[in-house]
Amino acid sequence: MIYISDKSKKLDTYDAIVIGSGISGGWAAMELCKQGLKTLLLERGRDVKHLQDYPTANLNPWDFKLGFNNTLEDRQRDPVQSNAYTPADKHFYVSDADHPYIQEKPFDWYRGYHVGGRSLTWGRQCYRLSDLDFGANLKDGNGVDWPIRYKDIAPWYAYAEKHIGVSGQKENLSQLPDGEYLPPMELNCIERHLSESIKKNDQHRLLTIARVANLTRGWDSRGPCQNRNLCSRGCPFGGYFSSNSSTIPAAMATGNLVLRPFSIVTEILYDEQKQKAKGVRVIDTITSEVHEFYAKIVFVNASTIATAGILLNSTSSRFPNGFGNGSDQVGHNLMDHHASAGASGAHDQFADQYYKGRRPCGFLIPRYRNLHDHENLGFTRGYNIQGHGERQEWSDKVNGLAGFGKDFKAQLSTPGPWTVWMAGWGECLPYYNNQVTLDHSQKDKWGQPLLKIDFAFEDNEKKMMDDIEATCGEMLEKAGFRDVATFNYHKRGGSTVHEMGTARMGHDPRTSVLNQFNQMHEAKNVFITDGSCMASSASQNPSLTYMALTARASHFAAEELKKGNL
Amino acid sequence: MDRRTYLKGIFAAGVLGTASFSLFKWFDLNKPIDASALWDKKALIAEMAEMIIPRTDTPGAKDANVHTYIINVILNCNPVRQQHKFYYGLEDLEKYAQDQYGKDFLKCDASQKQSILEHSAKNAEYSNRILNKINNKLLGQSFFSKLKSLTVEGYCLSMAGATQGLAYDYIPGKFEACIPLKPNQKSWATK
Repeated sequence: MIYISDKSKKLDTYDAIVIGSGISGGWAAMELCKQGLKTLLLERGRDVKHLQDYPTANLNPWDFKLGFNNTLEDRQRDPVQSNAYTPADKHFYVSDADHPYIQEKPFDWYRGYHVGGRSLTWGRQCYRLSDLDFGANLKDGNGVDWPIRYKDIAPWYAYAEKHIGVSGQKENLSQLPDGEYLPPMELNCIERHLSESIKKNDQHRLLTIARVANLTRGWDSRGPCQNRNLCSRGCPFGGYFSSNSSTIPAAMATGNLVLRPFSIVTEILYDEQKQKAKGVRVIDTITSEVHEFYAKIVFVNASTIATAGILLNSTSSRFPNGFGNGSDQVGHNLMDHHASAGASGAHDQFADQYYKGRRPCGFLIPRYRNLHDHENLGFTRGYNIQGHGERQEWSDKVNGLAGFGKDFKAQLSTPGPWTVWMAGWGECLPYYNNQVTLDHSQKDKWGQPLLKIDFAFEDNEKKMMDDIEATCGEMLEKAGFRDVATFNYHKRGGSTVHEMGTARMGHDPRTSVLNQFNQMHEAKNVFITDGSCMASSASQNPSLTYMALTARASHFAAEELKKGNL
Repeated sequence: MDRRTYLKGIFAAGVLGTASFSLFKWFDLNKPIDASALWDKKALIAEMAEMIIPRTDTPGAKDANVHTYIINVILNCNPVRQQHKFYYGLEDLEKYAQDQYGKDFLKCDASQKQSILEHSAKNAEYSNRILNKINNKLLGQSFFSKLKSLTVEGYCLSMAGATQGLAYDYIPGKFEACIPLKPNQKSWATK
């Protein structure tokens, strides 16, 4: 932690400022530092040091007095976050009571305000987008055209993958391009069976192991993954990628990084003369003092919703509606994947087979809908299926096993039938009315206006969910599963924790906020590379795309700076 | 609410009214439960938990101190209404023991205890799934289902239960995707 008491501008001035230390902010900091830029990384929460700040990482189940149940108090204080956390990883989630927001419609906004942000608790899935995705807006007229295509980002995907370490299987699919992979994790018996059945029944579908940032061999002085499946506690083996385990230490090692936790950025400051950002205003949450920090370039990586909030809160005579918001698109087009619909079933084969170890991922059935024109499904875009197979254990059996006593105990403690659960992760279109705004009539404890989130899935997403139920059920039926049950959980917006779109990229400053290098149209030294830059959501888990875009934008920014263009 | 849901509700309320032993105590249900009163039932809870998961060639619920887990979870993690339902369930069961055998549950012999707990298990769930759902929503999980699920949870998460009653693999290292089931193979304690 650093404290700057000296008011001299020199100490407050850096080459670059990065707002937010989550998955994209960590990347921005590392890349800028590696380019030789003195970089200030601002984080609104506390510091979390790799290894030493993972208090629950080595605990056994019996070390939790209340098991994995949250207390009544937890649930009252954190009505949203407590849906996601357990006593094992609660410390990586904010308190809703301390960090309120307004839900115009039900929306779960999961947050981790600490160094590393949600890179500690993320799902670690790493999928490339393809030209099917980058070309979609132009093709069907939803949103604005992406100003990039796959070829622009492909080398940066490789760059990111090679750094973080991704295990996966190449499949040679145009809709889901292959990347640079460590050896894949393995499918278990039932998953192999389902995979074979799908391959046999539909030439356009296949089932592959998830591509995840869990290391199947040692990588960059981390890992390998020990198959404990306790990732969200922070990994004592560095078995998966996070800002804490990777990018921040790498940035630190350059000698160019200053990391400043407990620093809430309230505004980006505009220099009317130079027509650029000059820095940021920060509230120190320890001292409550307000500081200003200055830099030649500013990267905004506060996370989709918070980034929109900072921009909207940064008003000036040049930007009365918010920083870089001449397009009036800032805060709009909020997207989140839906992951509500799917199917499950049980299978009687392979009763003599089992597994050992807790593989920290499931399988993927890459997108198979609307790959071609004129499929006439009643919805546009598509979804991929994620799921896993396992044998039923005690927690699955407890509600179905009748009686009590010796026989009950014996049944409870032996492996049950194989089951598969799978669900569709579906694309959400960018709707202008799905938006984040500021409510100036309500303030948080720092005197900052509360964010108001107004989000709902529409008809296209709902029709897609129906199709997911149908196709998932069908794939399981065809593979000989019994008791196939399709479902739609009707989860609230935000539940997939893939918020995107509130400061979108585009060709035209009148309809978008960022250009093809994530550079603000209206302030050339501001770059936004978190989820807010996304012009469409695609259906792939988005973090890898943020990382690739961040690396690309960081290199571009550093070059532009050297050329004197910023 | 559409008409069908409404009618279902009326129907359910009628059935629940006659079947739910604690509905008449509805008005008490919003006050918090007295923790010491529940701790006083520790021996009773321990006895029933042991009947659900008895000691065999592996430890039982008492060995795993499951009763402490159950009480802690009821008091700290369950809504007030569910706490009451659980507590009244214990009282009802004690009363049933008195009515049937003229003595405390803990003083009953093994077969009497068995038939008392079977009685409780029988009343735990309606055969109709919708009624179960509505009942659980209105009044919380039935006493016996709650007792049973917390017993299982407390046992399987305990050191004795996880490492001896089940198979526990602290640091697996490798993932072996498909291996033959060994004779008497126990299922994994954690996922």
